[in-house]
Parts: sequence; C-alpha cells; structure tokens
Amino acid sequence: MGKIPPSFRSAVSTPFAARKPPRPPPSSLAAADSPKPLLHFPRKPARAPRKTRTPDSLPEPAPALPQLRSLFQSPDLSEAKKVFSSVVATSRSQLDPRLHNSLLQSYAAVASVRDSIALLNHMVKASPTFSPERSTYHVLLSQSCNAPDASLASVRQVLNLMVNRGVAPNQATADVAVRSLCSSGHEDEAVELIRELSSKQSPPDTYTYNFVVKHLCKTRDLSTAYNFIDEMRESLGVKPDLVTYTILIDNVCNTKNLREAMRLVSVLSEEGFKPDCFVYNTIMKGYCMLSRGSEVVGVYKKMKEEGVEPDLVTYNTLIFGLSKSGRVKDARKYLGIMVEAGHFPDAVTYTSLMNGMCREGNAIGALRLLEEMESKGCSPNSCTYNTLLHGLCKSRLLEKGIELYQMMKSGDMKLETAAYATFVRSLCRDGRVAEAYEVFDYAVESKSLTDVAAYTTLESTLKWLMKAREQGLAV
Amino acid sequence: MLPQRMKKAVADNPKKLANLIDLVNLPSTVRDFVGQSQTSRLGCFMRVWSYIKSNNLQDPSNKNLVNCDDKLKSILLGKPQVELAELPALIRLHFPKEPK
Repeated sequence: MGKIPPSFRSAVSTPFAARKPPRPPPSSLAAADSPKPLLHFPRKPARAPRKTRTPDSLPEPAPALPQLRSLFQSPDLSEAKKVFSSVVATSRSQLDPRLHNSLLQSYAAVASVRDSIALLNHMVKASPTFSPERSTYHVLLSQSCNAPDASLASVRQVLNLMVNRGVAPNQATADVAVRSLCSSGHEDEAVELIRELSSKQSPPDTYTYNFVVKHLCKTRDLSTAYNFIDEMRESLGVKPDLVTYTILIDNVCNTKNLREAMRLVSVLSEEGFKPDCFVYNTIMKGYCMLSRGSEVVGVYKKMKEEGVEPDLVTYNTLIFGLSKSGRVKDARKYLGIMVEAGHFPDAVTYTSLMNGMCREGNAIGALRLLEEMESKGCSPNSCTYNTLLHGLCKSRLLEKGIELYQMMKSGDMKLETAAYATFVRSLCRDGRVAEAYEVFDYAVESKSLTDVAAYTTLESTLKWLMKAREQGLAV
Repeated sequence: MLPQRMKKAVADNPKKLANLIDLVNLPSTVRDFVGQSQTSRLGCFMRVWSYIKSNNLQDPSNKNLVNCDDKLKSILLGKPQVELAELPALIRLHFPKEPK
C-alpha cells in the first residue's frame, strides 16, 4: 500500500474503526494524478483522507468511543435515539462530527436504511452544531449497499437525500456505492448505478471503472467485462487505460488463454499505450504458467529494449519461469544479474530456484541453496520447506526429508498437499508405516489438509503398498 | 503430480468421497466399539486409530504392528495382530459398497 496520510491513520486506529470492515476510501480528484503504487497488481493508492482535520485539532472523543461497540444492539429506533441522547449528555466537550458518523455507522450496521435516516434527522435536530457532511452520507450509502438485500431503491433514497440537503453526490460518492455493491455481490446493481449516474453527468472516475472491471473479471466471465467496457466506451466515452488492460491481460493469462492476451497486447499498442513494468510482469506470468521459458526470457529482453526497468517481481517471475521449464542454470544466472541490479532476492526467488533444482533431481543442491539463503539473511517460509521436502523425498533422500520434517514440525509449519503425499509415500515405501501415520496425524492436527484429503492419500498409499507386497515388490 | 490428479479424482467422483464421509448404519460389532449407531468410514478409522494410540497397542519392537486387545479383535476379524498398513482395508470391510 502507499503511504497512509497521518490524519487518516488516526481514524483507522481508533478502536471502533478497527473493528469495522474497512470502508473503501472515497476517491477524490486530487488523487487522480498520484503516483502508481509499487505493487505487482495495480491497486488504488491510499486516497486523500475524507476527514481533513489534523489529529491535533481534534477534541478528545476517547471517553465515548470504547462503549460504541455495545451501544446499538437492537435496530429499534427509539432505543437508538435514547442512546444518542445519553452519549450527548455524558460527553463534556463539544461533539466531533466524526463521532456522529461513527454512531451513525454503528447503528446503520444493525438497522434498516429508513431508520438510519431517521436517526440522522434526529441527530441534526438534537445537536444544532452538527451538520452532516458528505462523509456522513457516505456512511449511510455504504451501509445501504452492504445490506444483504440491497437494492438500488435504497441507494437512490440516500442519493436523493443528499441532493435534497444540498450535498451533491460526487465521484467519491459513486465510488463508495459501487465498491460496496460489488463487495456484497451485487455487480449488476453496481453497473446499473454507474449507468444511472452517468446519465446524470457524473461518470465514474478511472478508479471506480477499473475496480468494476476487475471485479467483473473475477466473478463473471470475460464477456461480461468486455460488454461493460464496450458500453462505457460507446455511451460515455470512457476508455480503458493501461491499468484496465493490465487487469484484463492478467485475467486471461490466469485462464491460460494466451492468444487472447496477445491480442490485448496488440490492442494496447494500437491504442497508443506504452506497456509498463506491470504489463510486462503480467505477460511474463502468463508464459510461466505454460512453462515456456524462452518466451519468458523474450519478454525480459523486450523490456530491456524498451527501456523499462525490471523490478523484483520481474526477476522473481523470470526465475520462477526458467526453473519451471527446466532451465535452472539460466535461472541461477539471473539470480546473479538481479543482485547486480540492486535487488534483494527474497524467499520467493530462492524457493523458485530450489523448486527447479529439485525438479532436476538435485535436491542436495537445493539444500545447499537453503544454507546460502539463510546466510544472506533471507528467512525461508513454509513454502520453501515444502518444496524441499518434496524434492528430498523424490530424490530418495528420506533421512534428510525426515530431518526437515522435524524442523517444520517444531516450527508449526503447515504441510502442502504435494509434499505431504510424497512424504507419506516415501515413508511407506521404506516400510515405515507407523511414521506415515504420525505424519498423517500432524497433517490433520495442524490443519494443513482436510481430514478427507489426508486420509484419502494415506489410504491409497497403503492400498498400493499392500498390492506391491503381494507381488513381492516392496518391503 | 499424483496429489493433483487425486484431488481431481475426488472432485470428479463425488461417489468416492461420499462413501468416505456419509454416515452409515453400523453392524452390531462396530456399533459396540464406536458407541454410536451411525458413523462414516473416515470417522470409524479415526476412532480406531485414536483407540490404538491411546491404549498403546502398537508393538513396542515394531511400531508397524498392532497387538489387538479383545475389543479391537472384535472388529478386526479376530486377528491377534494386524499391520497398520492393512488397517484401512480391514475397516473398509465393515462398509460394503452399496449395490447399484
């Protein structure tokens, strides 16, 4: 994530806000030209905070806040009004509008939209200093979208309320509503809302737009996303940008539809975009999935030609892809190049490389790499250990595998399906059935696998063992 | 590769999964051992295995063997000693395949 501005951070750290699912930060025009976050997948940068006050100028809302959790438990309106009056009566200083928002949010979480609006009206009447601002309405809006039976009617109700009170909905409003609708699984309503808002001369900004595209890609099929893009282009003139294309390419790569990815890349250049590091990384990942090492290197070379500086993710992808397609030597070479370029290889880099070595049957080399990695101050993760365990068992180095397993066990690391199955099979082949049972117990206890998966593996392995014994093959 | 294939096999073959986790009416011998009238094959296996562990029935000189006590004998074909490796197969005997 990008840097969180200090004033926003203070809002996040209040006990009340920490409990709530984080509401999407509203977008603002100022954020449109903020720099791209340094992430593998494009995300929204932390936006300009909704609350513009600095923490120092805030009156102390602390005494009332801890109680908020338990304040509103029933959706009953008159109860809520009483609670609100008591909060007002007990607080010494003048109430902060933020407190009103928090109260409203906590009530809206349990009550209907209509009652929440009624409470807001009551608040305005009861405390004359409080005038609802845009953020207050955003609270209502996001709650009305998050309701399980959310419909556009309640969203419209809140929007109309805003207009009537003289607070015109802006792009941030649209963003809040669309995100809330999407995250509660109402994609169709979100798209419908965008249509409606656009007809009222407030088309979505690029962040909202890309969010919807990404969400549609994830939850619906590709054609739905394409239809949305076409519709936006034709009716509103909103064009997909580089981030949109990255999202689309990533999505088609994930479904191994590389032909479509290539088409998108060519469309990208036709539209006059210059691919950036994210796009290249995504394409590279696509080739990795198909284990096409030479194309992976090709993408890297193209990047260099175009003058795009590869980042850590690029190198990790490159090393992963080369290892996967059996070109460990090359992968090793790029590890050197990577260090020269000033990047620190992390656990992902080393694990990919170890995976490649294990595939070649060079588990000892992989084990040596583990030492090298630790000596450089990079600590392995559970994936690293699982890769090694798998590799050691495959290379019939069972003793070393058992040693590693003990290490994993003492570190409470989870076993992965492949490593577990290989390990159990090696143990059984070696006639150490009791130890296989012990590994089974650990897998179940540590919740690495489901009972069913763990047992199915054990049972089929034992079945195979009995059969082999009958034929006089194994021990 | 095998686990992935196996996962796929389980996913493709709901029947296989079903006969592992569906509750089944037990024959009287097993019912006495488990203490319930219904259990799944998986549940039964877990029960037997934890019984072996908690009663230290594994042969001290060869952990792969189980020395059955009377209670265990009653459900494992009356054998005095069984191998851990054949345990799933023995338990399966109590869960016959349903006729199509």
